[in-house]
Amino acid sequence: MLYDLIIIGGGPAGVAAGIYAARQNLNTLLIAKSFGGQMTRKSVDIENYPGFEKISGLDLMQKFEKHLRKNKIDIEIDSVSKVEKVSGGFYVSATSGKQFQSKAVIVTSGADPRPLEVPGEKEFIGKGVSYCTACDGPLFGDKEVAVVGGGNSGFEAAISLHSYAKKVYILEFSPQIKADEINQKLAQKYDIEVITNAAIKEIKGKDFVDSVIYQDRKSQKLITLNVQGVFVEIGSQPATSFAKDLVEFSEKDEIKIDPKNNMTKTPGLFAAGDVTDVRWKQIVIAAGEGCKAALSAYEYIINHG
Amino acid sequence: MAKIKIYSTPTCPYCVTLKEFLKERDIAFEDANVAQDAQAREEMIHKSGQMGVPVIDIDGEIIIGFDREKISKILKI
Ligand SMILES: Cc1cc2nc3c(=O)[nH]c(=O)nc-3n(C[C@H](O)[C@H](O)[C@H](O)COP(=O)(O)OP(=O)(O)OC[C@H]3O[C@@H](n4cnc5c(N)ncnc54)[C@H](O)[C@@H]3O)c2cc1C
Repeated sequence: MLYDLIIIGGGPAGVAAGIYAARQNLNTLLIAKSFGGQMTRKSVDIENYPGFEKISGLDLMQKFEKHLRKNKIDIEIDSVSKVEKVSGGFYVSATSGKQFQSKAVIVTSGADPRPLEVPGEKEFIGKGVSYCTACDGPLFGDKEVAVVGGGNSGFEAAISLHSYAKKVYILEFSPQIKADEINQKLAQKYDIEVITNAAIKEIKGKDFVDSVIYQDRKSQKLITLNVQGVFVEIGSQPATSFAKDLVEFSEKDEIKIDPKNNMTKTPGLFAAGDVTDVRWKQIVIAAGEGCKAALSAYEYIINHG
Repeated sequence: MAKIKIYSTPTCPYCVTLKEFLKERDIAFEDANVAQDAQAREEMIHKSGQMGVPVIDIDGEIIIGFDREKISKILKI
């Protein structure tokens, strides 16, 4: 079947695009690895999405998904491995082996957590190393844990971990903490130990993590912290591997779009949300961008279909 | 019918997706909340050799994460 539109991603951008596309009567398929995207990694409540004074990422995600499914749209839970330009549109291939075809595509694949890239990190994923405090945090009851990254995400992770773990450290590379005042105050209140100037060198253990080694960038000394959990919160990187040849990238590896209509350098290929070079990354912005992309795709399909 | 046990936490998105996936197909399962149930947590770590959720046990076969293809294959769905 030839779809009018394929949307890749089930975060705020993809869901908003899906709702708008369906309501424009576009014959649409949305493919996502899972619903929710980064907001499901949020370890404390979301308090800046209009209409919801305070809501957990998981609850907001379920509302997004439910709203989307109210509309006439096909949904595949699958991972996209390649997007190709063919005459009359695009081929979209998934890791399951399935292939789909459409006149236009909107990429809303967002961003994945950025890895530390130190020895031991990969080996201990699921064995003490985690990129999702909201998911795995509850498994560290009565353990000692370190959060790497002293931004807001790191502080929020540490604050949520303090209700399970015996001891929580925050390790920050730079000399200064950049997290909001509110978060810093809470961390202080919960006896979270903040260590600055810490360059992570290695994660060690036998079957599971038992320590992390960092270098104090002032004294140059190597210091071992005995922890059973390492939560990585050092930012994210755009998830773009399947579209490399069709788009241009910013210096941060984000997909470059025309800010007016979300089109990439390939006609008919649109992108929206955190995967793009849009200046700010927020849920409400991603949703708005998804809407813009869907309306632009509609216009494109009407004119070229 | 296969005996299925899921080890999950209430806040993990892939756990939710996995459970929805089975529910949509009318497949019954037992759900252990490893955030609260320490015994189930130990059982999960012992069975899977790791601490990530979700873990699904299908008649003794252990699958880590929401691996849709593997689960579909085992359950023939
Ligand atoms: C810890 C944390 C806290 C945050 N707190 C807030 C906050 O309080 N308020 C706020 O407004 N914003 C917050 N943000 C930012 C916000 O989450 C993002 O701006 C927003 O989620 C971006 O939406 P998106 O749809 O562009 O991408 P994402 O949310 O990243 O969604 C991407 C989607 O694409 C899917 N996907 C990826 N690759 C593929 C593939 N190959 N095939 C198929 N599907 C794929 C994913 O499964 C997912 O469904 C936070 C982010 C983090 C990480």
